[in-house]
Amino acid sequence: MGIPNHDAHPLDPAEWPSDWLRATLGFLALRALADGPSYGYAIIADLQEHGFGTLKGGTLYPLLTRYEAAGLVSAEWRAGDGGPGRKYFALTASGRAELTQLAESWQLFTTISTHYLKPERATKKVTP
Amino acid sequence: MTHDNTDKKWFKEFIIELRLRQVRGQAIGDTVASARELLADTGRSAEDTFGAARDYAAVLELPAAPKYEWVRTSLWPTLLSLIAFLLFSQVAPAWAKSELLLVSPTQLALAAAPVLVVALMPLYLTLAIRHVWLFIPIVAFCAASGIFSALVAPTTADDAWLAISPLPLLVGSFAALVALSILSTVRSRRPGASDDIVYPLPDEHTSDKGGSGFGTTVFTIVTNWLFPLFALVIVALSIAVR
Repeated sequence: MGIPNHDAHPLDPAEWPSDWLRATLGFLALRALADGPSYGYAIIADLQEHGFGTLKGGTLYPLLTRYEAAGLVSAEWRAGDGGPGRKYFALTASGRAELTQLAESWQLFTTISTHYLKPERATKKVTP
Repeated sequence: MTHDNTDKKWFKEFIIELRLRQVRGQAIGDTVASARELLADTGRSAEDTFGAARDYAAVLELPAAPKYEWVRTSLWPTLLSLIAFLLFSQVAPAWAKSELLLVSPTQLALAAAPVLVVALMPLYLTLAIRHVWLFIPIVAFCAASGIFSALVAPTTADDAWLAISPLPLLVGSFAALVALSILSTVRSRRPGASDDIVYPLPDEHTSDKGGSGFGTTVFTIVTNWLFPLFALVIVALSIAVR
């Protein structure tokens, strides 16, 4: 399979179907914290930089709040240097385990989906 | 670009919505500070970043006190105080004139109307806080029922349904008012009872704070003792005009 033809199928991150982002944002946000504690704007910037489009605070923060309540992330306030104080989120051990499990499941799911979507795949006709 | 005015309004509405959801003050402070942090980083408006304040408060699903806990802790004591105060205000003029307290069913029903309005508060309080003008007809109804209650009060024992000595009721209702005020004061002085909004970092968002600690304490104590104070005013007025 070659490189996607961007002219035929423009991959503008702003145009990802919102359902896709809704389904994946949870573990993408956990992944954004895998390299160390981070804060709201930095998480949004990281996801944007990696091609997921611009996320709104109204989407990210409720998710982080739920993860904090579920013990997947911990939070700590740090005073800002001349700027605003920042709430840093960090993965907990159970958050890291959740990320590992979800990443593995997602790899499997995308492999199956990609295989299924191949045009050359032999289609099996269902006969009544 | 700054959005000071629109953001100020948004945060005010947001805090009210979180309060209506019984979210604790500490969680509100944390959430507001988080939102302000992101707005400072992005320079965008609160409405654009988080959507409507009411929707954002709902989607956050912050831990909250049981939905009707305030009914037990705030509404019932207020309702009992109101009943005692209404009773006191009915018996004080009769006591000042050394007359029997004369009661008719219509008078009693009209006097009880404000009690009903307060008792039904859980059904409409959220709506009234979101549309503050609704308090105008509510207060007007209570005031009108009080005035009509006085107007239809029987003037002779023959017209009255009940004719009773006012002194025991006067003493009993005032004692109840004082006891309820003491209870409210003790409750409000307990650590953590105020449930003020607490911001996670010092000196943040002081503009959202209700006032100094001393001022808040004085306001709380005065509020707790309003009914007994008004009762004393009624006694003084009743003696003055007898």
